[in-house]
Amino acid sequence: MSFLQLILKNLLRRRSRSLLTLAGIAIGIGAVVSLSGIASGFERSWANVYKARGTDLVITKTIARSTMPGPFPATLKSEIQKLPHVREVGGLLSDVFSVEDSPTVLVIGWEPKTSLWKHVTLGSGRWPDDSSTDTVAIGSLSAEMLNKKLGDKIQIETREFTVCGIFRSAALAESGAIVMPLPAMQSLTEKDGMVNFFDVWLEPRTTPAQTDELRALIKTKFSGLTAFDPGAVSESNLAMQIAKAMTWAVSSIALVVGAIGVMNTILMSVFERLHEIGILLAIGWRRARIMQMILAESLLLGLIGGILGCGLGVAAARLLERSPWVAGKLEASVDPALFGIALLIAIALGGLGGLYPAWIGSRMSPARALRQ
Amino acid sequence: MTSRPPLIEVRDLRRSFDHEAVQALRGVSFKIGQGESVSVRGPSGSGKTTLLNVLGALDCQFEGTVTIDSVELRDLAQPERFRARTIGFVFQSFHLLAALTAIENVQMPMFERDWKPAERRERAAALLKMVGLENRMDHLPAKLSGGERQRVAIARSLANEPKLLLADEPTGNLDSTNAHKILEVLQRIHQERNMTMIVVTHDAEVAAVTNRTLHLRDGQLQGAANGA
Repeated sequence: MSFLQLILKNLLRRRSRSLLTLAGIAIGIGAVVSLSGIASGFERSWANVYKARGTDLVITKTIARSTMPGPFPATLKSEIQKLPHVREVGGLLSDVFSVEDSPTVLVIGWEPKTSLWKHVTLGSGRWPDDSSTDTVAIGSLSAEMLNKKLGDKIQIETREFTVCGIFRSAALAESGAIVMPLPAMQSLTEKDGMVNFFDVWLEPRTTPAQTDELRALIKTKFSGLTAFDPGAVSESNLAMQIAKAMTWAVSSIALVVGAIGVMNTILMSVFERLHEIGILLAIGWRRARIMQMILAESLLLGLIGGILGCGLGVAAARLLERSPWVAGKLEASVDPALFGIALLIAIALGGLGGLYPAWIGSRMSPARALRQ
Repeated sequence: MTSRPPLIEVRDLRRSFDHEAVQALRGVSFKIGQGESVSVRGPSGSGKTTLLNVLGALDCQFEGTVTIDSVELRDLAQPERFRARTIGFVFQSFHLLAALTAIENVQMPMFERDWKPAERRERAAALLKMVGLENRMDHLPAKLSGGERQRVAIARSLANEPKLLLADEPTGNLDSTNAHKILEVLQRIHQERNMTMIVVTHDAEVAAVTNRTLHLRDGQLQGAANGA
């Protein structure tokens, strides 16, 4: 009989309790994996949008007080256009609306005749005319979600639009969006002459140092605006920050509950086995080995719970990304590094939960335990 | 006094509990030679179990001197290590681990030795064969009779080839037939292995199979022949 077999036997003796503890750990780790996967997917999804557009810098308000950055005058474009290394500037106004049966749909107004329109492929129909205020193009995923085809009417807030084109984008967030010309979006949101993003394309041979200088210049010249690297835009987003905070809050609670579960299980099993531990000490087991045995039981619970939790987390993330609130906006990103972190957390949970019971068990007096 | 070289030397052993309110052992002294078998008899409360706990390094909080195999037991830093190498225990109520089979129970003390799992199993199987349980190796204690359980406990006590076997009322929970079998096994082990054996017992029949008997009463040894 090996030491591992003994550990397994000890855990299998109290099968129901071990299973409940595993469930507790798995739920905790599942929460970490799924929520982190969703948060990371959100970031990646937006990074993909800018990657697809080939954007070099994104200018937006430094402080966002809602899920979307606040608007600022579109007229700033002419000043930005004159800055060194700037090749092109495109203005956008975007917001999230409840559209028919879908609770959250990203609606974007793109400035006509800019590169913003070039990175997406029209699958069917045509693009809205630059001056149109009653036609939209919808992403392939939003067409699927909203069950719309060319010529169908679509209600956004109080206005009705006609679907004139269906486009494909390499970025999931855009595939699930509705696009219209910037003036139409300004009219819909009653923000005439305003944008909340400028996408900036730089001259081809602009160096990273020159880009940094330009970012610093924009920050100085345009008070309240910041030029972000495309990958960092989502990090500054208020919704993203709230999502991350929620992820850690929920995960922390789940993990504390998991750790208490492990401690309870192992502590109960130690108290039930005081007599047995006394026998093992009497027949010569070292106190360190008693500690090893109890810790190994809790670490193993942590490890198995962690593996189950990773599976559960992936399943939960997949379910979440299909939910009406999230569908079309992101694809959960669960990478091996996250699994590694989750497993380490699970093993640490097991270790922490087992430390006190192991200490209690190893401190026993064999003579007293044998009398019980 | 024994003529064999002493394995155990006890001098003026005193052990009290509850802040000296209970004096369990009051100046006990004796020697036991290598390979001797000795019974310890006495009425309930005479200090037999306390003496066994001290000799088995289960209780190192005593006054006086107890030396076993040249190791002084008082304030021993790692009594478990000493027990694993030197002592084999047989208890009245067997004290087997209920969730483990007979052969797994016998292997338990061997975890303190550098033996591989296969070697542990092989040694445990040989010990169970020696006590006549080769056909009951994979049975749980609940599926064994009282006598069989005690034979498993005896096999376990021999797992690490100890120099000293301590048996606390080994036949106390057994009927006369099983008690007789256990005595035979203990006698055979003592003879074949030349192992020092101390048996705490109420039973005169058990005491009769040992070389000599120490009589304890009120925490003191009775009779000059038993003293050091």
